[in-house]
This record gives sequence, structure tokens and C-alpha cells, in this order.
Amino acid sequence: MRQGVDQPIKHVVILGGGSAGWLTAAVLAAEHNTASGSGLRITLIESPEVATVGVGEGTWPTMRDTLRRTGVSETDFIRECDAAFKQGSKFVRWREEVDGDYYHHPFVLPPGFLETHLAAGWMAHPDVPFSMLTCFQAHLCEAGKAPKQFATPEWAAVANYSYHLDAAKLGVFMRKHCVEKLGVRHVADHMVGIDTHDNGDIAALRTREHGAIAGDLFVDCSGMRALLIGQHYGIEIESQKDVLFNDRAIATRVPYADRTVEIACQTISTAQEAGWIWDIGLQSRRGIGHVYSSAHTSDEAAEAALRRYIVATGGREQDIDTLPKIMIRPGFRRGGWHRNCVAIGLSSGFMEPLEASSLAMVELAAGMLADQMPATRAAMDIVSRRYNDTFSYRWDRIVDFLKLHYVLSKRDDSEYWRDNRRPETIPGRLRELLELWRHQPPSRYDLNRVEEVFPSASYQFILYGMGFMPGERPTTRRMDDVARAEGFFRESAEMARRMLAALPGHREMLDHVNTRGMPRI
Amino acid sequence: MTRHAQLNNIDHKDLRIDTRRSATLGDDVAFAATFPAEFRDLQAYYPIVFRKDANGTLSPVALLGFQEGHNLFLDGERWDAAYLPLAIERNPFLIGRGGEEVTVHIDLDSPRVRNDAGEPLFREHGGNTEYLDRIASVLLTLHNGLQRVPAFIDALLARELLESFVLDIELDDGSVNRLAGYYTINEDRLRALDAAALGELHAAGYLEPVFMAVASASNFRDLIERMNRSRAGGR
Repeated sequence: MRQGVDQPIKHVVILGGGSAGWLTAAVLAAEHNTASGSGLRITLIESPEVATVGVGEGTWPTMRDTLRRTGVSETDFIRECDAAFKQGSKFVRWREEVDGDYYHHPFVLPPGFLETHLAAGWMAHPDVPFSMLTCFQAHLCEAGKAPKQFATPEWAAVANYSYHLDAAKLGVFMRKHCVEKLGVRHVADHMVGIDTHDNGDIAALRTREHGAIAGDLFVDCSGMRALLIGQHYGIEIESQKDVLFNDRAIATRVPYADRTVEIACQTISTAQEAGWIWDIGLQSRRGIGHVYSSAHTSDEAAEAALRRYIVATGGREQDIDTLPKIMIRPGFRRGGWHRNCVAIGLSSGFMEPLEASSLAMVELAAGMLADQMPATRAAMDIVSRRYNDTFSYRWDRIVDFLKLHYVLSKRDDSEYWRDNRRPETIPGRLRELLELWRHQPPSRYDLNRVEEVFPSASYQFILYGMGFMPGERPTTRRMDDVARAEGFFRESAEMARRMLAALPGHREMLDHVNTRGMPRI
Repeated sequence: MTRHAQLNNIDHKDLRIDTRRSATLGDDVAFAATFPAEFRDLQAYYPIVFRKDANGTLSPVALLGFQEGHNLFLDGERWDAAYLPLAIERNPFLIGRGGEEVTVHIDLDSPRVRNDAGEPLFREHGGNTEYLDRIASVLLTLHNGLQRVPAFIDALLARELLESFVLDIELDDGSVNRLAGYYTINEDRLRALDAAALGELHAAGYLEPVFMAVASASNFRDLIERMNRSRAGGR
């Protein structure tokens, strides 16, 4: 079969359901008028024999806009995906292995962040955590408040928020929307082979019952198996194991003791001897898992630590529902778009879920693909080069950002923590940034591309949350204005006071959404 | 405080109602709840807008002023417009349940309720006065009308015909005030409706009130003039 360079791109075939497949389908279909008949045709092949990974429950605030643009209702989403509101992350025992060691990484941009160096003002309050001083959201989380009110319209926030959600339910929810409202064709079948063009492009995916499904562009959402990009095209994963050691995860689901138990407002990440435990509060249950390094601990010890954590935080041994162990090859594919095949989701790479970057990368990938969808095969090579360059950069930034959580730890209770600080495990770029940050705070100059995965404010929350103390510059500058920063801290405290009084509790808000819904406007 | 009682011609035989319009009698309110069938009477005098309650539920109101507790249609003891919104006229009465039926209830704590002067409720031998008959009719119309509001709102929201708006008002004295928190008909979306959608709205009886609400927007100018006069008059 021959492929012409002017071949128009009219039919996109997505291999794999789950969150990545169905979110991508929804974003593409909404943007490209699939339901109208005059837009892109989109077919998603989902094998009834292949299970989804079972986890993937944290998101970034960009998810609100992503979902809104697909045309779903936020009320329906919260009801059907067991979703709760996420207002950032809380890192427990990452600096030191002592009770009471924690810091917040909220989503709200601190007041005055762009106008002055808040860290300069923070230096005058070294015993107050940076996030509590600068950002009212940390206070809302400690008080168990929802990020919006009963009267706040769908998708709008009083305090910037994202979601904790049930990944399997998200797939089902988006599938229903894709098929019923967006004109996506769902083929429930198993892929048994691949047909190629002379030039190496994929021509069609052969399925058991539905024959060969031809397409112009193929999206590999087949998860870690990476059937197209990995197994067929042989694009290798560039391993990051020498930087981020964690390569195993045990995930569990744990119900709440009863309906009065508070639902956490943030992802809680508790550092362990050779890894860390995630604790995500959905409406009906928690998702709790231990991500760890097999080089530094055994599976049995990791599982035991997980069970101890679950029991210590109100779960009961007999209620723990354990999912199949997940093997992680920390790393990513630099050439995620090869020929007419682009990998989105776990097939493009995976690192430990320390900052919920997986679903954020799915959103960014689907968004860029939708916005830059090439009209012809010739244009595709230009777009794919640009895409690979963009995502290569983003993966590198994720590695830097995750490593930042480790390099400043003072924990000395195991080889794992000491190994994480060894210079050869720290990427050069991060070492350079840490040197710069001794005398200037993380800023847009450090993260200078459009649509960074993590904003510079996030780097500040981690840096100063981990106890990094900036040094004194040899000369003064206007942006290090302590008095100005103090003004913003007062503003933040005042906002916290008002919001604590005006916002409902987290569970209260979710109950309201379930019974009365959220207003559309 | 409120003290509701089902009206009857024995306990309440001698009650009289002060029907003057006045701030001391509770008329100094910035809006009056309304319903689609009343829009055509309101649209000649009042902007018809929509507001949210604490739960985020939208409902239509006749706008009487720009500030909470300040009714620009109150002029001494008269109401300065030819049509009085039913939600105002019905005070101090309300609909209540008397067993299976809906019946007239009265708020006995209202300052309008008197023994000495005002409109009597019952005749010498216990029958209703014309005033009370009028009140019963007002209450029934209001009750039936308000029951239709949720479906009307749903129909508007489903077609994205409502949008939030903000009105920045510069008064003669130079002060700039902002009216916010209300919603209005999205005229662009209205104009873009196809024949099928218009037909559906018409069949449901919603088309006329939608256009009445749109027409009522011209009353903002009058409301601003009232605000200017009130500032000049020191009220």
C-alpha cells in the first residue's frame, strides 16, 4: 500500500481505552467536530480482554478546563467518577523522619508572587512554613474546606482546584460521552495484527471480529505494553532509573470507617524507608499505595509498611483490597511520535506518581494533538518533530521536579535517602538551578516555555517546603522587599480568614453536588 | 419575627391590613420574586433579571433598586409605578397548607396587621371582603406562577440563554457603582436559536416571557434616573 504526502488526515484510530484513550478521544472529537460528520473521524479500539492499570487518581487544575471543553457536566463527572476535590499535595516526613514534619504544595498562586520575592519576606519568619505564610489554600486544606461554594458555577473555583477520581470510572464516563455525544466509534475488540504501508507507516490495525481498521493517524494508548510505539516500532524507553529509583508499586483500595470520616483535601504523600506512600481520598473510599525501590527494600517489607500505614490512618486490615503489583520502568520515549503513530499515556512513559504528572501529560498531549492536528501526511512530519521536542523537554522537567523532592531531604535512616542525594543521581540542569536558587527564587526564567508542566510557583513550594534556605546576595535588590512581602502575607491571612468562614466543608460540598448538583452558570 | 396562621373568620374577624406602601411596613426591598406569566405586566416598569440563592438556584426577579434594602419605587407612602408586583401586593399574606388544600395564611407579626385602621378582611356576617378575595386571587396566581419557575429556568439553562452580567453605573454626582451578581437573557444565543428551538420554547409558553425580559432591559435607564433623583433628594 502506498502513502502519498498529500494524503489528507481524516481518520484517527486510537488503540486502547482507559483514561488516556477516552480522554484523548473526547478532546479530539470535541475540537474536530467529529459528531457533525464533516470533521475528523475517530475510532477507538478497546480490548475486552485487557484490564486498565487500575490506578491514576490524581490530577492538576488543567483537568477542569480539559473536561469542560469536551462538553461534559462537572456535576455528572463528580457523581459518576466518585470524584473529590484536590487542592494540592501534602508531603509528610520528606525532610526528616520525625512526627510533625510536613509541608504543603497548594495550587493557588500566592498573592504577590509575581510582584516580589516572597521568600525574602519568609526569611523573617523561619519557623512558619512557607506555604502557610504565603498561601491561604494551605489553611483551607488543614481545615477540611471545599474549594468552592454551593452557588459557585460548574468549573469555577473560589480556590484553584483539581480532582481525585476513580480512573476506571473516568474511562467509562468519557466513553459514554464520546459515543453518545461526540460521535466517536467504539470498537470493542482485540487487536491481532498490524498492516503497514511500504514506507513504514501503519495502514491498519487488524482486529479479531471487525477486520482491519484503517486510519491515517494512530494513537497508542495501550498502556505500558505500548503495542504500537514500543513493540511494533521498537522506540526505546530512555530509563531514568539512575535518577528516580522507584520501580515497583503496590496499590490498594480502602473504604472509610463510616460516612463521617473526613475526606482529605489533598494528595497525602508520606515518605518511607525506601519510597513513599500515596493516600488519595475519593468519595467512597481511599486509594492508598506504596511506590518503592526494589534495590533498597523487599516486596514483603514494602507491603508490611503499607499495611501499617493503612491501619495507622483509620483503615482496617480486613477491608484492604489489594490490586496487582505494578512494575515501573521509570523513563520515557523521546520519540513518542513516530511516523503516523503517537503514544499518549503510559505508552509514552511513566515516572512515579509523586506529582500526578501522568494524567496532566495526557491532557497536554491530547491538547497539543488536537490543536496541531496535521491536515496532511506531509504536515505530520513537521508537527511530530515539534511534538517530540516539546514533550522531550516536558519529560526532562518532570524528572527535575520529582528529583527536587528528594535532593534536599535530611533523612539519613536508609541507603535509599543517602543514595538519592549522591551527585551522580542529580541531573545537571537541576544542579545548576539549585545553584542559582541560592540567590534568586525559582521564576519564569527557569521555566521559560509556554505551557510548562509545573509552574515556577510549584518549584518554590517544594524548594522552601523542603527547608531550602536562600543565602544572602552580596548586594541588595528591589525585588527582595521584606516589607512588601509582609503586606502580601497579611493579605493571604485575611483571605484565609474570609474563606474559612465562607466555604463549606469538603464532604458537605460533595454531598450537595450529589443531591442538588452545581449550577451551570 | 414571623408568626403564621391559617386565616379564618373567627380568630381574625376584626383584623385590618395597612396597605400603604412604605419602608416601615417592609417594602424597602431591592427585588421582588416573579414568574414568567407576570413578565408582561412587569416589563413596562422594571428590569427583569435573574438571581441565585445560597444553593446556586436561579430565579427571576423584578429589580427595584441597585442596593440591598433600597427600593427606588417607594415615594413616601406611594408606589411610584402603575403596576405593583404581586410578590409585594400579597404582603402580609402567604399560601399555606390547610390539610389537603392550599389556603390563605397570614403573618400575624407583620406591622401591617392592625386592629384599628386599614382594610378589613371579613364582612359583618363572616364573608370575605373584596380586598380578601383579591388577596386570595393574588396568592393563587403567585403560587401557580412560582411553581412553573424551575422548569422555565431549566429550559433557559439547557439552551444557554442565561448569562451573568455586571452593570457599571455612573451617577450624576460622579460616583460609580457596580451592580453584580445578577443574570440576564443572553441575546446573542437567543438570536441564534433555530426554528426548532424557538418552536419548542413557544410550545412550552416560554417564548413570550423571554422576549418580555429582553424588552424590560430598557428600564435600567429609568432605574438609574430614579437613583440620581434619590441621591439628589438625599434618600
